[in-house]
Amino acid sequence: MALLDVENLEISIRFGHELLPVVRGVSFSVDENETLGIVGESGCGKSLTALAIMGLLEGSGVRVTGGRMRFGGRDLLAMSADERRHIMGNDMAMIFQEPMTSLNPVYRVGDQIIEALQQHRNLSRRAARRRAIELLDLVRIPEPDSRVDSFPHQLSGGQRQRVMIAMALSCDPKLLIADEPTTALDVTVQKEVLDLMLDLQKRTGTAIILISHDLGVIAETCNSVAVMYWGRLVETAPTDALFETLAHPYTRGLLHSIPAIDRDVDWLDAIPGRVPTIGEQIAGCPFHPRCPRAESRCRHEVPQPREIAPGHLVECHFPYGGDR
Amino acid sequence: MMAVASIRSVFAGRTFAQIGLVWLAFVALAAIFSPLIAPFDPYEIDPIARLTEPGWPHLFGTDHFGRDSFSRALYGARMTVLIGLGAVIVALLTGGLVGMLSAYFTRLGHVLMRGVDVLMAFPALLMALVLMTLLERSVMNTIIVIGVVYATTTARILFGMTLKLKGEVFVDAAVCSGAGHASILFRHILPNLVSPLLVQASFIFAFAQLQAAALDFLGLGLPPEVPSWGNMLSEERIYVTRAPWLLIFPGALIILSVFSMNLVGDAMRDSIDPRFKDDIAGV
Amino acid sequence: MLFYTIKRLLALIPTLLAATMLVFLFVHLIPGDPASILLGDTATPEEVAALTRELGLDEPLWTQYLIWLGNVLQGDLGTSVFFGTPVLTVIADGAETSILLATMTMVWIVLFGVPIGIVSAMNKGRWIDQITSGGAMLFASIPTFWLGLYLILLFAVGLGWLPSSGFPSLTDTGGVTNLRYLILPSLTLAAPNAALIIRLVRASMLDVSREDHVRTARAKGLRPSRVAIRHIFRNALISVTAAFGFTFAALVSEAVVTETVFSLPGIGRLVVQSILRRDYPVIQGVILVIVVLYMFINLLVDLAYARLDPRISLK
Ligand SMILES: Nc1ncnc2c1ncn2[C@@H]1O[C@H](COP(=O)(O)OP(=O)(O)OP(=O)(O)O)[C@@H](O)[C@H]1O
Ligand SMILES: [Mg+2]
Repeated sequence: MALLDVENLEISIRFGHELLPVVRGVSFSVDENETLGIVGESGCGKSLTALAIMGLLEGSGVRVTGGRMRFGGRDLLAMSADERRHIMGNDMAMIFQEPMTSLNPVYRVGDQIIEALQQHRNLSRRAARRRAIELLDLVRIPEPDSRVDSFPHQLSGGQRQRVMIAMALSCDPKLLIADEPTTALDVTVQKEVLDLMLDLQKRTGTAIILISHDLGVIAETCNSVAVMYWGRLVETAPTDALFETLAHPYTRGLLHSIPAIDRDVDWLDAIPGRVPTIGEQIAGCPFHPRCPRAESRCRHEVPQPREIAPGHLVECHFPYGGDR
Repeated sequence: MMAVASIRSVFAGRTFAQIGLVWLAFVALAAIFSPLIAPFDPYEIDPIARLTEPGWPHLFGTDHFGRDSFSRALYGARMTVLIGLGAVIVALLTGGLVGMLSAYFTRLGHVLMRGVDVLMAFPALLMALVLMTLLERSVMNTIIVIGVVYATTTARILFGMTLKLKGEVFVDAAVCSGAGHASILFRHILPNLVSPLLVQASFIFAFAQLQAAALDFLGLGLPPEVPSWGNMLSEERIYVTRAPWLLIFPGALIILSVFSMNLVGDAMRDSIDPRFKDDIAGV
Repeated sequence: MLFYTIKRLLALIPTLLAATMLVFLFVHLIPGDPASILLGDTATPEEVAALTRELGLDEPLWTQYLIWLGNVLQGDLGTSVFFGTPVLTVIADGAETSILLATMTMVWIVLFGVPIGIVSAMNKGRWIDQITSGGAMLFASIPTFWLGLYLILLFAVGLGWLPSSGFPSLTDTGGVTNLRYLILPSLTLAAPNAALIIRLVRASMLDVSREDHVRTARAKGLRPSRVAIRHIFRNALISVTAAFGFTFAALVSEAVVTETVFSLPGIGRLVVQSILRRDYPVIQGVILVIVVLYMFINLLVDLAYARLDPRISLK
């Protein structure tokens, strides 16, 4: 059994009296030493999925309305709030999309790491501080002895994200969820932060879920990939298999839309049409209005996940490389 | 029709604010029609009927002059509306104009807003008291004083809001199309500020009532014979043990009206442009 | 910090000067001859002439201002028409009551306002929030003197638990127990202000709770109460502190009504009585003292701000 097993996850948003599903039928699993990449356009539900796994959805009008999530064999959704909190920040940690604002501006970064440490480990303040400095060193913050006493606004975006990583790693999590950890950072810093995470994985065996809307990043770093479109996983496969076949037309679209270095193209433009809004009703395959291969069947029949190769699932009637 | 629809949407699902609105409508009606409804002359003294308990024909009883409290309360609604609206108008006309002009004409604003800063160093009630010492007790002066006291806050608020709008694209567009300053200020900026101003006005209206009542109580507000809720409280307070109803009715009227206005303001605040929400000074 | 303090202090000077000018002009705005106004109706022509000379009242206005400012800086605020003693002494006599009343009121405001505001914010939308924030708005809608009168009626006249008026100094017989005279007045004064603080704490906490770093705090697995206090309230405190400062600064003048209701010998009642007695030197002196106090408290707020928010540079 895998470390994390997500089955048929459904997440809904409350609009007035209605609950509209935004994420539907999402299934995947991650194991130790593995990195799973989740890609998809902005707004397709990547962050919501991550927050649902962490258990950070409540209070925002968003709820898990279906499916199962098992972590280390235990049913996450059946746990009490206290049990969940015991896992949060301990066995499971998350790095957020917004490095500039994810740290509390009024506390020193060291104290924020210490708080995370002391929540789950029985450490004296002094020991926790020593550990915090070690962690800052581990994430390659220069002069950790003095940086530990800095306030977040005294650090650059990249350094803040490193602090977030240090905090996330403080209790040696079994699973690390990194939600676009580099999107808000400079290109040069992006690579360093990613390398850092992979390096740490090598040492500790932590499972990683890496969320990105950049297939290039995913290709370099992940063992397997899940492609998300409008709240659904349209293609899931080991990285090599995925890039070899690019079975789903959407995946292809994403790949072709990776902007070349010299052209300053917004990648969104590469796939024609727009992402449907939440709650919009689309008959048949949700991607068909934008799909170059759409046929009449696509307009009427919702595609079910099909295994076109071992471990390679596609939700498409006419995948590339499949028989037509 | 559109106004009705938007009022509906603002107050939908807010039972208390709706009740508040209804109560304020009552107060307005009482203010307009008090001469028709009032069973007695509010100034008529009747030494024999002093301090009668509430009942028939004196619904709220009589005060220590034997005047009918119910009739005085009805006429008091006039003062409430008059002072509330008057203070709002004075505050918006003086403070509002200063704030808008200051934000728009930066140089001028530098000077004007420093002046506002200085005036802000005078706490509201103290400023009202000081101004009242310089002026005679009258309805007009009470309105002016309370309005001026809130002018400083209003100036600050409008300064902030105008500044936000000034930088926006549509103003730039208006400038490019050759519109004059007056046209930009009053045709492009002001219309965007109408709803936050309404919210602010409702809070000024509410505060003005409390301020006016406090001035009446201190003997520095409306002339004592004028029937206002504040005066009714102030005049009769020494009889509180003998005739507690004399304080209950006008007190309840003030509280209900201020509370209603605050509820209405609060409901409206939730529906305005979020950019301006933090600018509003209210409960 | 010291540098920052000095910088803020220097920035205060122009406003302070402008405010003193207004206070100075106050006497000139009253119709009539300033010397006669300052001396009251009973003054002899010789006395008027003497004061005119002393204050340079026949000189240009700005010279008069400088003379007046010079006197003020030496602690000479003039002489009370009513008491015949220096204005500064008259004000000092009311200071004990006013300071104690304001402090006690502040204690209630913090004691009631903060916890209720936190509970209200933590339970947003539930019945407990509707009751507390609705109740707070109701309390902010009650005229203070009305509340004071009914508190007297209930606790002093009815139950006889507490005294209804006056305040003997702490140095008089009774000592510290004399503070009980201030319980009802301070509660009266605290009610509307605590109500505002409740609403403010709630609103600022709801603002902060939408910020990203709160999610980080929850992601550490912290207990909800710890997140609410250490992360949400602590950050909301930055804006709430400003309100504490303004409230405290305004209390001395807001106490005018309360001190009148409870016949307390404080500065607030002094203002009202001086207005009714046309004791202009005292009125002028009190305004000056309150305005200066108000400004300095606001300065303290600024400094507290800088301590609470590390993003504000102290350089
Ligand atoms: N608290 C919320 N209330 C209402 N709608 C929400 C909320 N959180 C997310 N959404 C909506 O749900 C959808 C999915 O959001 P999500 O944050 O998961 O997208 P994402 O894939 O992470 O996008 P991005 O790449 O921009 O981060 C979006 O349309 C978003 O607007
Ligand atoms: Mg996201």
